[in-house]
Amino acid sequence: MSANTRVVGAARWVGSVQKAFIAILLVLLAMAVANLFPETKTNFFSEANFVNVLKSASIFLILAMGETVVLIARGVDLSIGGMMAFSGVVVILLMNAGVPIPIAIALTLLVGVAVGAVNAFISVYQRAEPFIITLGMGIVLTGAGQQLTNAHPVGSTLPDFQLVANTKILGPLPILVVVMLAVLAVTYWMLRSTSFGRNVYAVGGDPEVANYSGINVRRTQAATYLICGLTAALGGVMLASQLNSASSIAGENTALYVVCAVVVGGTSVAGGIGGAIKSTIGLLLLGLLTSAFNMLRIESLVSYLPTALLGIIIVSILWLDSYGRKRKREAV
Amino acid sequence: MSAATQRLGRPTPQGVGNFLRDNPIYVAIVGLVVVTSIVEPKFLTVDNFDNIIRSSGTLAFAALGMTFVIMAGFLDLSIGGIISLVAVVTVTLVDRVGQGPAILIGLSVGLGCGLINSLLIITSGALTQAESLFITFGMSLVFGAAALMYTQGVTQFLTYSQSDISIFDAINAGAIGPLSVFAVMFLISLAVLAVIERRTYPGRAVLLVGGNKVAARLAGVPIGRTIVMIYAISGLMSAIGAVILVSRVTLADPNMGVPYMTQAILAVVVGGTALIGGRGSVLWTVVGAFLLVLLNNCLNLLGVSSYVQFMLWGVILIAVIWLDTVKQARVR
Repeated sequence: MSANTRVVGAARWVGSVQKAFIAILLVLLAMAVANLFPETKTNFFSEANFVNVLKSASIFLILAMGETVVLIARGVDLSIGGMMAFSGVVVILLMNAGVPIPIAIALTLLVGVAVGAVNAFISVYQRAEPFIITLGMGIVLTGAGQQLTNAHPVGSTLPDFQLVANTKILGPLPILVVVMLAVLAVTYWMLRSTSFGRNVYAVGGDPEVANYSGINVRRTQAATYLICGLTAALGGVMLASQLNSASSIAGENTALYVVCAVVVGGTSVAGGIGGAIKSTIGLLLLGLLTSAFNMLRIESLVSYLPTALLGIIIVSILWLDSYGRKRKREAV
Repeated sequence: MSAATQRLGRPTPQGVGNFLRDNPIYVAIVGLVVVTSIVEPKFLTVDNFDNIIRSSGTLAFAALGMTFVIMAGFLDLSIGGIISLVAVVTVTLVDRVGQGPAILIGLSVGLGCGLINSLLIITSGALTQAESLFITFGMSLVFGAAALMYTQGVTQFLTYSQSDISIFDAINAGAIGPLSVFAVMFLISLAVLAVIERRTYPGRAVLLVGGNKVAARLAGVPIGRTIVMIYAISGLMSAIGAVILVSRVTLADPNMGVPYMTQAILAVVVGGTALIGGRGSVLWTVVGAFLLVLLNNCLNLLGVSSYVQFMLWGVILIAVIWLDTVKQARVR
């Protein structure tokens, strides 16, 4: 009897822990096992590799924070890929035109907020389907970036610009990672400890109830799009600074990748559930997987196998997520 | 059409004025056509219209399949991956098994991909558009990666000895009486799909499921079977689109299907099918696809840069959805 209860308790605990977190543990375990054998031994557990994973996840994570807030409030923003590429192009073109670095960055962030405002106006105040509106906005921004640069990558003429992201200020961690941690901390604080954050959850959980509770539903939802535009522009600026150049096609698959990572982390596409830490776990899972695939040279076994495996893992976690909701619906 | 719309509670527009007011996108594109034919006399030539019909092929077929998915209130983002996969499979098999069997195998691959999508969605119990969106996006990664793995990322060329009767040439350039083979294929597919939509129980179930899933289930509409049907149709129509694409360009690239995902959704919604499901028709999609290809052709003849054209797709997507939302709000 007691053993039975313990088993049930353990099962419940496994059910409550994020699937993405379990998946991370499985990846780490698999790599540890692989390290036991000389032919599959890798540098996976080295500081350099973890810094690399963090660095490559940083841009996506900055974008993911804004996306998380939008998703919790029952919206979705697919323009972040286009926004990222476009803001990179804008910041570099502004600087090449002679605008000082801080002003160029500030103007670019303003552009991000402005695009967020357009998204918010059409999809919140006019109640159009945000998925398609922001998809269209992403296309518009990508096209605008291509028109500005003739679809060629543009380099910055100021060598100082790349210091913005790449200067190491915290041991082996560059500013890029520190900015990412700051965005993560601010988002976490905003969602957990401010009335705006509570309103976001309330609006996502049930807009009607939120409305009756005196929350300005539309203004809250609109604010989430502004935040998302800001983080996407910030991500674009950091990416441009990291590479000291920008390409108008950089954001092709970014939006869906980030939304998938956020959902894989446990933020619900139905709104009301999610958080900054969950999204971080989701992104780290995808980052660690990519790193593990590279280390084990899976690419050299069969080309493009990593992409396929990543797709299969994303589908499985999303499948489990939907299946969990179905079970809950049926249990009621 | 009027019977169908009245049944679904949408007032039938009476008179020319109302039609123009309700369909500004139609008006805008027809206006552009008039301007183009004045500015550029080459527009109104038989050669040009032949060109328009030929270049609309893949988009038209993929959009027809997508219409059923959207009418049922779901989305299929995997058609880009399916088109790529079917194209490379068909082209590489021509040498080994002959043209007919290669095309048949290609079509069954497309059908199979659609069935996999539907099984994933049914077993996970996904009922919302968002859930279907993310699962099919994950599958588009898988299908695209499968195409890349199969070809090792190399573009495949269609090779067959010139003395053989070429099915691909026939599809691309052949004619049956006054109509091209392509036009005949399109009209047959359209007729079959229109009959399914209007005159069969499964077809009417699609609109019922799209209108209200809970009500449909309570009324005994088989939702699972409907989901299987719409994704199978979407996969098969994308596969036909892939075969037509291969016939026209005589090569298969493992990334060639990617742009068709957005374009197909655009054609469906420009035609007037509601994105939230429950209202629409394959006949409207034909108009939508034709208008889009016409628009593309006009802009090419007017010498508009391809990047600005790309931006315009986004603007149209936003405008169509926005105007549709405003129209729906007025009806209510």
